[in-house]
Amino acid sequence: MEKKTKDFKHLEKWQSTLANCIRCGYCFEHCPMFKHTSWESDAPRAKIITAFGLLSGEVEPSESAADKMFSCFFCGRCEAACSSGVPLTEIFIDAKKDLVEMGLKGPGTTSTTELNCARCLICVGSCPHDARFYDGKGIATDPTKCQSCGICLDVCPAGAAKIKNDFGTNSDNLIERAATFLDTHESAKAIIFACNWSYYPELQASLLPESETRDKGYEILVNMCGGRLGAHLLMAPFLHNAWGVMAAVCPDGDCRHDGNLRAKKVIETLRNTFKSIDINPERIQLVQIPAGDKTLFQAEIDTFIDTLNQLGPIR
Amino acid sequence: MKKIDETRLKNIVGEHNIKTDPSDLYIYGSDSSVHHAMPWAIVRPETTRQVQDIMRYANQDMIPVTARGGGSGMCGQTVPIQGGIILDMKRMNKILEINLKDVYCRVEPGVVDDDLNLALKPYGVFYPPTPASSRIATIGGEIANNASGVRSVKYGATRDAVLGMQVVLANGDLVHLGARTRVEASGYQLHKLMVGSEGTLGIVVEATLSFVPIPEFRCMGVANFDSLKDAGDAIGSIMAAGAVPSMLELVDSVAIKAVNKTMNLGLKEVAAALIFEADGMVQEAVDYEINKMKAICKQHNGQDIYASYDPKEREKIFMGRKKLFPALSKYDDNLASTALADDMAVPYSKMAEMAEKIHEIADRHHIVMTAYGHCGSGCMHTKILMDTRRKDQWDDAKQAITEVYDYVRSVNGTTSAEHGIGLSKAASFKLEKSDSLTLLASIKKAIDPHNILNPGKLSQAPENWVTATNLRYSVNS
Repeated sequence: MEKKTKDFKHLEKWQSTLANCIRCGYCFEHCPMFKHTSWESDAPRAKIITAFGLLSGEVEPSESAADKMFSCFFCGRCEAACSSGVPLTEIFIDAKKDLVEMGLKGPGTTSTTELNCARCLICVGSCPHDARFYDGKGIATDPTKCQSCGICLDVCPAGAAKIKNDFGTNSDNLIERAATFLDTHESAKAIIFACNWSYYPELQASLLPESETRDKGYEILVNMCGGRLGAHLLMAPFLHNAWGVMAAVCPDGDCRHDGNLRAKKVIETLRNTFKSIDINPERIQLVQIPAGDKTLFQAEIDTFIDTLNQLGPIR
Repeated sequence: MKKIDETRLKNIVGEHNIKTDPSDLYIYGSDSSVHHAMPWAIVRPETTRQVQDIMRYANQDMIPVTARGGGSGMCGQTVPIQGGIILDMKRMNKILEINLKDVYCRVEPGVVDDDLNLALKPYGVFYPPTPASSRIATIGGEIANNASGVRSVKYGATRDAVLGMQVVLANGDLVHLGARTRVEASGYQLHKLMVGSEGTLGIVVEATLSFVPIPEFRCMGVANFDSLKDAGDAIGSIMAAGAVPSMLELVDSVAIKAVNKTMNLGLKEVAAALIFEADGMVQEAVDYEINKMKAICKQHNGQDIYASYDPKEREKIFMGRKKLFPALSKYDDNLASTALADDMAVPYSKMAEMAEKIHEIADRHHIVMTAYGHCGSGCMHTKILMDTRRKDQWDDAKQAITEVYDYVRSVNGTTSAEHGIGLSKAASFKLEKSDSLTLLASIKKAIDPHNILNPGKLSQAPENWVTATNLRYSVNS
């Protein structure tokens, strides 16, 4: 299987590393894109296969191939789980650099800017990856730097920052899913936001019988990065009679987008607001969960539900 | 290449459940094996009716159909050597029923093994076949390959846990095979025939599976050995002594080094180690089995023998074994771990000789091979570590594999214990089953007369696996 490779000067150095990926697929369960679509072509392994195909000349550098390489929220859980030690996100970034030079820019999950942008530059200052900049006409994104954390979406006052291929992480989508759960489950009490899939304690890719989920008291929604937990998203479940909301984020220093720090500030503000209107602030909580610690996450959820049971519904 | 009627397929499964872009087809052209071949379309059914409609269309137009679960197969079972449709079953992912009274569960084929066990856990029961890939492997894929794993020495393989199933045949007909009872003597056990048929006889759309109680006590032990032969002899002696391990695993020096390097487990780097486990509802009974295995290890010059009930200690030992396959690719930065000749079985008394034979053959052919596996059930795994860019290494690997399989058959072993045949093992499989190949072909012809279900596999597979498909590696000439 040897063909003439195209000019992938950044990707080329990974040739032997790509052979080290034994394609076990153990990365699937951590990937938000695979979780959302259950298409293998959205999983991290697929990007490694695509990178190999681009290098070997078996995959044409097309828009669809580029869209796959540009779709990643850079939670880094795939490479943390990879016992073959393949540095997946570094490979993705180098593939993106080569594709951009060929005129292919995704967008995949890269953030874009709509025409209603007011050029206030808030997103430029807030981007933890220095990916957004003013190009003389408007706000642009460097697709090789953008790590799709979505913080720009949350800070944009005009709603002009977008991630078009959001894979279910869009806040409107999350609000709708929270509302559906709370409106259709009699025992529903809480919405739990988790910043990634690595510590998600429930079934990963399968569905339980309806009889098993009928009496569920809470729903876990994965939002990809605590930096996207704006006040409107956290408050929305209360409009559907939630007793409480909990957000789980990475421990201090573990988030590659520093989104956990932002989440801390937002939740602290909301807790103060709750106090000022005589609502127990324990109804909204932030917990820090290390990658992969499903046991701790479940314990935190159980404690939170116990707290809510003592508090009862908001009257 | 035949033209796929995309419109008809979209009408069956909806536009969102079909992919034909070359970049998607390329991804679905490989699994965890060394092979790669391009399908013509990826189609994702969500219901049994959709599977039936797809098969009616494929049968009419004689289009190959290859069912696919998690894509973790190691021998190329889901690599579509004749093109056609890849039937991605991951959307049929419902656990339909957990019936504690009648001790079975019903699941769709796309349910992931670990998910099923997570759902069963609150009831104190588990589904035991547990291949190492259980976090990604689907029940449908496990049925297709008669998957087994570390606990199969006590609890059996997938075939032992499948009570019945619903299967869509090549012509689209739906048949109910087996029953929801523990035993059945009502004619041919066709559900058992489907297990291990690698998608060549039908598409499983629902399975009824038995489960067993989670034991109250589990104790895991380790013994180190200065020679591979001593470790192999200990395995034979443990099984011959009538011990009932719930796990009996061998890891050789190559495997130990790889796991230490990747996971920093600090295992002592000896010639071989045995990991053994016993489980049960009564601690004295577990102690009895563990003590028996410890004593036998000692008789065979085992060292540093210890055992623990501590879940953390057991998890540490078990995770090392579970992640061994991916860890092997870290053994040497210039060598890639390839899934070749990876799961033969030999009689217990030949286990030591087999392990030594693997290393002797590898040395002679200038490649690195490792010997490890579920030796309690007779299964020996190997992986070939080689520089996949060098054509001469592939030639060496091919020769080494031929010699390994020649040995396996010479001692009345079998080509595959748990991963199946697919493409990579067809040559040895055909030699092993030479007097029943006509019978196998007759069964296939009777059930799938147009040969559309995963064609070109098992007895139809090309004998030279190196050239059977493109290899998924860049090989310099």
